[in-house]
Amino acid sequence: MPALRNKNCNYVSNKEINITFDGKSYSAYDGDTIASALLRNNIRLIGRSFKYHRPRGIYTCGIEEPNALVQILNEHNEPNTRATIKKVYEGININSQNRWPSLSFDVGSINNFLSPIFSAGFYYKTFMGPKGFWKKIYEPLIRRTAGLGKPPKNFRSKSIHQNHNVDILIVGGGLSGLIAARKLINTDNEVLIVEQDSFLGGILKNSNKVKKIDGKSVFDWVKETEKLILESKNIKILKNTLVTTYNFTNHLIALEDKFAGKDIDTNKAELILHKIRTTQTILANGHIERFISFRNNDLPGVMLASSFEKYIERYGVVPDEKPVIFTNNSSTISLVKSLINLNCKPGAYIDSRKKKDIEDETKDYLSKNNIPFYPESEVEGCEGNKKVEKVYIRSSNKEISSINASMLCSSGGFNPDIHLFTQSKGLVKWDDKIISFKPDTAFQNTITLGSVSGNYEFKNLCNEINKKLSFLKVNDLNLDIELNIRNDFSISELWETKINKTSKWAKSFIDLHNDVTTKDLKQAINEGYDRIEHLKRYTTNSMGTDQGKISSINSLGIVSKILKKKISEVGTTTYRPPYAPLSFAAIAGRSTYEYYDPERKTPIHNWHTKNNAVFEDVGQWKRPWYYKKYETETMHQAVQRESKQTRDTAGILDGSTLGKIEIKGNDALEFMNLMYTNAFTKMKPMTSRYALMLGEDGMIMDDGIICKINDKHFIATTTSGGAPKVFSHMEEFLQTEWPHFQVYLNSITEQFTTFNISGPKTREIMSKVFNKIDFSNQSFPFMTFKIFDYKNTQVRIMRASFTGELGYEIYISPKHALELWELIFKHGKDFNLVSYGTETMHLLRAEKGYVVIGQETDGTVTPIDINFNWMIGKKKKDFIGKRSLTRSDTARKDRKQLVGIVPLDKSQFIEEGQHVVECENLPSKIKTPVEYLGHVSSSYHSPNLNHCISMAMIKNGNKLMGKKLFVSTSKGTKNIPVEVVNPVFIDPENKRLVS
Amino acid sequence: MTKILSLNGVNIYQKNFQQILVRGDGKDQFNQTMNREISVIPPSKNLEIKVNDQFLIAKNSFDQWTLIYFFEQDYKEILKFISKLNSDDRILASDYSYGQVYFEISGKNKDEFLNKLTQFDLRKKRFSDLSMAQTLIARIDCYIYSFNDKYIVTCNRSYEDYFKERLIDLANLH
Repeated sequence: MPALRNKNCNYVSNKEINITFDGKSYSAYDGDTIASALLRNNIRLIGRSFKYHRPRGIYTCGIEEPNALVQILNEHNEPNTRATIKKVYEGININSQNRWPSLSFDVGSINNFLSPIFSAGFYYKTFMGPKGFWKKIYEPLIRRTAGLGKPPKNFRSKSIHQNHNVDILIVGGGLSGLIAARKLINTDNEVLIVEQDSFLGGILKNSNKVKKIDGKSVFDWVKETEKLILESKNIKILKNTLVTTYNFTNHLIALEDKFAGKDIDTNKAELILHKIRTTQTILANGHIERFISFRNNDLPGVMLASSFEKYIERYGVVPDEKPVIFTNNSSTISLVKSLINLNCKPGAYIDSRKKKDIEDETKDYLSKNNIPFYPESEVEGCEGNKKVEKVYIRSSNKEISSINASMLCSSGGFNPDIHLFTQSKGLVKWDDKIISFKPDTAFQNTITLGSVSGNYEFKNLCNEINKKLSFLKVNDLNLDIELNIRNDFSISELWETKINKTSKWAKSFIDLHNDVTTKDLKQAINEGYDRIEHLKRYTTNSMGTDQGKISSINSLGIVSKILKKKISEVGTTTYRPPYAPLSFAAIAGRSTYEYYDPERKTPIHNWHTKNNAVFEDVGQWKRPWYYKKYETETMHQAVQRESKQTRDTAGILDGSTLGKIEIKGNDALEFMNLMYTNAFTKMKPMTSRYALMLGEDGMIMDDGIICKINDKHFIATTTSGGAPKVFSHMEEFLQTEWPHFQVYLNSITEQFTTFNISGPKTREIMSKVFNKIDFSNQSFPFMTFKIFDYKNTQVRIMRASFTGELGYEIYISPKHALELWELIFKHGKDFNLVSYGTETMHLLRAEKGYVVIGQETDGTVTPIDINFNWMIGKKKKDFIGKRSLTRSDTARKDRKQLVGIVPLDKSQFIEEGQHVVECENLPSKIKTPVEYLGHVSSSYHSPNLNHCISMAMIKNGNKLMGKKLFVSTSKGTKNIPVEVVNPVFIDPENKRLVS
Repeated sequence: MTKILSLNGVNIYQKNFQQILVRGDGKDQFNQTMNREISVIPPSKNLEIKVNDQFLIAKNSFDQWTLIYFFEQDYKEILKFISKLNSDDRILASDYSYGQVYFEISGKNKDEFLNKLTQFDLRKKRFSDLSMAQTLIARIDCYIYSFNDKYIVTCNRSYEDYFKERLIDLANLH
């Protein structure tokens, strides 16, 4: 038989929908949560507990739920979903968790009887030996039993991220949040209200406490307020959105469920992660009711009193028509009134407060309605088979009696929900009146309003808000709030009740999520864990996904009593984000796959694609690695073909990714002399020079070619990956070390597309393409450049080469680049011109002995180490890194130096990264270190020499020329015998280069 | 001009603008040189824009200005202008015409749309009309220029495809 329905509830529709729980179909209403739907069907047993596999039901009606965690099968098996907040929809398929083979018969519940071994500190005391058991037995076992639900089967891209910048963020759309919002309507402040429910109103819709506001029903007042807000020009509302994180600088994270109450559409973002930056944060996120520890306080049927009332008022379901109510405070009378309004009657009302402290109105109301009343009494415990059947009451005379009941509603008072406040680094203080911590000093621009600030008096709310928001210079708002309960809040301290009836099954829990009992707390303190942070970790108390929202203050209360200290002296544990669990998928955002990292393409990219280029990622750039001539051509074959053809005829490389910096100003020459090791003073205009840039430590930082237009105007190239670093390095020195220099820099990397064309036939091709330019050696010698008009633009051509062949670098505007590239190919066809990629570029430069920054160098290499002494301007007064080159370590003669290496057996191939050693074989088991001379930095098979050529950085390399050494391999212990040679393998006389 | 997308109160067009990046000291002679060429004194306040039918000139930082032409000029004239500016040793002008791409973003939901790709505060009170900023949009370094009813966003040309794909991808999520 379905549970009684509160037909006055306006928040759940009459539309019936079908849901499935553990394979069985049930009927629910549109607007229900899983919990309200199951309660509507009188389902009380929802899951099994984490450690002892005890039967568990629905304890709360919100985010604080420790028990009712379920798995949503039709949402990619989403585990650990809180049944108390997840809205149902037609066809939702839900399973209970942590049970086998079924929810009602769970083999794991044997743990409950083994509980003496699972006491506090179980993990710290167990699994100490024997040696070897950890890896093979303990860890796999623990991993298998850990957790509640099963992980999702597939990763799904769930969320997108949305940034907001607002003046004021109001967290919580309850009574306090709405009063604050009403005050801010049509002001100059941009305001965002974030509400975790699908309706505004908070306590107004969740309880029967407030009767009328300004003479209107609470439903009408909320509706009117929402309308005013939506019509305002400055306030936005986000519903179904939970603020999870409060970071520094008023940066908050909130998660919006876009499919609350709807079947997810896998083509759309299910969640939106809002990143909110605000000037002021108003926390109006209310309070959370806490429970009381008593014997078997975890039985299905035990529920927090305010949650029971919320099910009646918010979801229109009466979970039980005659529950027993157990309280230590004045708030629970509104639940009694809600029940009486529906012609239901509590089975008993047990109040631990002294009779004289209990409000006369409460006593009269209970008496008038003939409700059994137990003042100065408490619940000793409850019993039943997987549900509450009997409640044991310890009366004021200490006698224990029992009554039959199927639900027990308990209320241990309220905690201001200070989680977000403390995340913001705000300080809290203990309040004896409400017996809880409340916000004290804000660390950021944070204001707390209403019950989160410890103010439980509705009548005082407007005053508090007017006062706290007065700095915003907005009009005061005074509302006439009519209540169904007394305005003042009264409570007596009660954390746990004494257990009379002990058994192996009986337990009094302090943390329902992690199955921590009050006995565990006491044991931990006896074992010396008397600091609250230690105690928390030792017992795992409040470390569950609910973060102990309904119980953490209770544990402080119990601990303070044992330690005979005040709770304020015991202190709190640290609240850390997130406020409630959110999935990694939500944080990660939508899976953008190919958009994950920005990609950069050169203006010739589409040509490369059409011509079967295989791309290599160089930073964010997509560079052609090699071009496939035919489908089955391997990279090795392609590279051998491209490099051979370049040396025989001509090859062209898209070098657009090279960094380019324009340097100009009256002090440009001096600046360049300081930035680079080379001397530029005597360099003629319109010539270029290969240059090295060092860090202050004297190590090679970057290289490039410097074009000198005149003494006041230079263009420098950098490596592709080094461009931003070099540019900011130059700017930093200009702005901090040499601000007196009149020099300006512009990055022009993207403004010029660059082609490197080289090979013996290059001159013929260039002469055909640029038929008005004289490319002869006399008029266009090596390391000179020309700038000339070409069509509607300008072209800069520099005679330079990175292959060792006759070569030119062409710089042209990106708009005209593709056209020129195609024209070069048109003319190059007659000369067997080939396009080549970065791999061939590396092979060609290695044949010539040219170094690559980042391959031969690694941040520990000086120019002298790679025999670039000739690049250091000896007569220069200074340059960055100069002084470091004379340090004893950098000037050491036996540093690793660049050499060439060839295998003695020319059929053998040397791998990059392998070690250069003196021994022929490595021992099969290395007991003492093998002396290591250095490593192979580059290695290729040269098609032009028909054997492997390698470059290596080895200790004292210059003195080892001609010596036989060995290089390790990735397979086996036999090393490859090699000879140390000059690293220039082809054309050491530079005949090709200057031809 | 190419339409990239138009939906849900967001319109994005790619524009064929041209651009010159100028560096100088912003003092009288610099202003006179610029004024002689473009008949506008460059803005003196950081991140400020001056605009007319032909172009905008924005002060990017204490010694850097951007000149963007709204209509495609004869490229030779641009290069000639750059050459003229560079004849003054205290100025560095670089051609940025085709190394950059330009997007015009308008529509009532443009801020919300862009705020899915950037955390930048686009509110008028923080990012007023006729001002500019340099920020990350879709993880790309962009310049954004604010007008009454639209933004002009520029980024390096190498990111063109990526940036357009991100915009379209985002639009498809709506």
